[in-house]
Amino acid sequence: MTIISDLDSLTNHIIDFEPIGRTGKCHDNESILACANRIGLGISSVCGERGTCHTCRIQILSGISSEPAPSEIEAFSPQELADGWRLACQVYPHGNCRLNIPAESMTTAQRLQVEGLEATVTPEPVIKAYHLRLSVPSLDDPQADADRFLETLNRKYGQHCTRIDIDVLRTISSRLRALNWECHATVRNEEVIAIGPWPSRQLGLAIDLGTTKIAGYLVDLSNGRTLASQGLINPQVSYGDDIISRISAVIKSPDSGATLKRLALEALNALAVSLCAGIGAKVEEIVDAVVVGNTAMHHLLLGLSVEQLALSPFTPVVRHALDIKAREAGLHIASGAFVHFLPNIAGFIGADHIGVLLATGISSMEGPVIALDIGTNTELSLVNNGKIMAVSCASGPAFEGGHIKHGMRATRGAIERFRIKNNEVQYQTVDEAPPVGICGSGIVDTIAQLYLARIVDERGRIKADHPRVRTDNNEREFVLVDKQKRHPTITITQRDVRELQLAKAAIRTGIQLLLEMNGFSEKHIEQVVIAGAFGSYIDISSAVTIGLLPSLPLHFFRQVGNAAGMGAKMALVSLAKRKEAQDIASRTHYVELTSAPNFKQTFIETNRIGRYRINHGRKEELD
Amino acid sequence: MSGELTKAIAELEEEEALKLTKEKLDHGEEPQLILDESRSGMEIVGKRFSEGTYFLPELIFSAEIFKEITEIVKPRLRKDVQTKRLGKVIIGTVAGDIHDIGKDIVVFMLDVNGFEVYDLGVDVPPKKFVEKIKETNAPIVGLSGFLTLAFDSMKETVDAIKAAGLRNKVKIMIGGGQIDEEIKKYTGSDAYGKDAMVAVSLAKAWL
Repeated sequence: MTIISDLDSLTNHIIDFEPIGRTGKCHDNESILACANRIGLGISSVCGERGTCHTCRIQILSGISSEPAPSEIEAFSPQELADGWRLACQVYPHGNCRLNIPAESMTTAQRLQVEGLEATVTPEPVIKAYHLRLSVPSLDDPQADADRFLETLNRKYGQHCTRIDIDVLRTISSRLRALNWECHATVRNEEVIAIGPWPSRQLGLAIDLGTTKIAGYLVDLSNGRTLASQGLINPQVSYGDDIISRISAVIKSPDSGATLKRLALEALNALAVSLCAGIGAKVEEIVDAVVVGNTAMHHLLLGLSVEQLALSPFTPVVRHALDIKAREAGLHIASGAFVHFLPNIAGFIGADHIGVLLATGISSMEGPVIALDIGTNTELSLVNNGKIMAVSCASGPAFEGGHIKHGMRATRGAIERFRIKNNEVQYQTVDEAPPVGICGSGIVDTIAQLYLARIVDERGRIKADHPRVRTDNNEREFVLVDKQKRHPTITITQRDVRELQLAKAAIRTGIQLLLEMNGFSEKHIEQVVIAGAFGSYIDISSAVTIGLLPSLPLHFFRQVGNAAGMGAKMALVSLAKRKEAQDIASRTHYVELTSAPNFKQTFIETNRIGRYRINHGRKEELD
Repeated sequence: MSGELTKAIAELEEEEALKLTKEKLDHGEEPQLILDESRSGMEIVGKRFSEGTYFLPELIFSAEIFKEITEIVKPRLRKDVQTKRLGKVIIGTVAGDIHDIGKDIVVFMLDVNGFEVYDLGVDVPPKKFVEKIKETNAPIVGLSGFLTLAFDSMKETVDAIKAAGLRNKVKIMIGGGQIDEEIKKYTGSDAYGKDAMVAVSLAKAWL
């Protein structure tokens, strides 16, 4: 018995995969990649473990492993190797190891991204729960049920509660009797908002209401732990993919506003039910909720007017945080509970961006630090010495696969990684399904690879003299995947390249002008935080290669996943975080990008592909 | 020597183009001819843009070169010989919309194709279009808008032109974003264009 277990420990190494926190046993003659795949943890591999595509980059934080293979020496700088960076397909552990798997190296099937950093916040919930045992009324003691309840609560816990929510009052008599006069009271700001059996869980719901995706988290308010998380598509997409088309729908027919509100609420309520079902709870156990979303989603959900959001000068109805009774907001949780809406910043920068700033903790960094959430509309802010400046960039739908000939969202069969090696194309699709189209991260990879292979020039022109370049309908296109029985031809056309140039120029211009307006240049940047689903799957080195992001060493970039949802969770469990959110909002200065100095020149220059620096609208070569 | 300047501009060789311009002036060449030759270069740039060879940076760069040449040549230009222009066009991004890059390309294309363009800028209220039509008697108006919401502003602008009794004096084209035949009808305009070259051919046909 002992011998076997010793033998086991000799040939098996315990591998700790961070930041996801999974562990697995790796055999001595097994690569990290093979081990990860065996335990169902997807790590990118486009080249089929040949060490050529460099998509399976990982970092060994501790532990002994094989010497770097020639392909790894090619893939990394000596400094990176010294820092433990390796290719998962080439490295063999010789002992227990702890690894960092960057988000870009992962192939997660779950594309409705809900995961993000885990909260490191001391629980300080807005609600408080108290255990009460009441005396039983009698003819000698015929005090009103509510009075008895409040008196006991205030006496036992030194509280000053004066109010009981009307819906709680409607059921208090039957409940107290059914519970045999022992209960758990939930109090918020001196108001009793729920009564449950003793002991009962105090659940909270955090929601990130995105234009395309909705993420929900069920949290235990007593310790801040996430009990369940889930994502779903925002059903409003049937009224248009982007915010503007949804607002247009409202302008054309005011009924649409009510419909959009109803659709969002139905989705949120279904999400609450499903999250609760997962842990065997009832929605009535949810006693607090926080919602973040962009300003348009926020306004639509609350039934606020959205028309003025889409027209210059793009003013929101309200900026400050709101606390609304769940039943008034239409959310089916504990009826007396409140829903907290984090503050907005401007018409095109909403509470979701506040959530990002809150969750990543960068709002208190000295800086300069840049935070961006890439989407149809990209929100960008620069934090410096307590001041925050935010801009919004119209990056368009290209990163979501929109306006791209074979573009699609990051769902099954979308090409998400692409490499050209020795004139051979290599790609990887979502779920490793036969390719049906290309999604945002695949498009960025493709343009970067075509540029590096000199098939697309700095201006974005596809060159005619490559065997995979053909002309279709007078337009040049690069063939990524040849037509086969199981899938269609997939190409990147000249027009696609142009769409991507415009999209990436919008973002790069935002970064550049934020820096310039604050008297900085790229070399001052301390960190670039990239939030959101697309931002997590994008290959940073490809994004740098095409000039979407400034040319900084890769360790300057931090991909944080759904930080907006994370921020919502923090605000849910901590009153201090809600105050901080309000403070962030009041410290944030919004600037209209198109009216900034050098906007046009910078936008024009950043249409170019490649690594370069921009200085007041002029392109500079890198040192 | 003829054609060299055209080629320099078409190839975006700024220094060469400016050098050639100065040389030509020093050799006593007619300033108007220099401008004509430059304009031919700009036409090639426009053509390459619409074919996809050039993109925004090249287009804007060529416009800068052309502007520099015009500034060198201008002082020597005889006042009485006004440049012959094909016709007047008023262009602007409609109220509520501030997108101007697409509009600027149309302005550029019309300009290099010989039109006299009045660019009213962005977020232009209907009233301003009406005033400019009265002032210039331009027979062509171009309304630009990227946002879908701009379609309502386009309609309001067309209505304002109608209310001012000028509708039958102008032809109105719209463009930008997701415009199609339906939106043309909705706004009450005469035609729409998917790109800047369509704007040029429409304007030429309307003269």
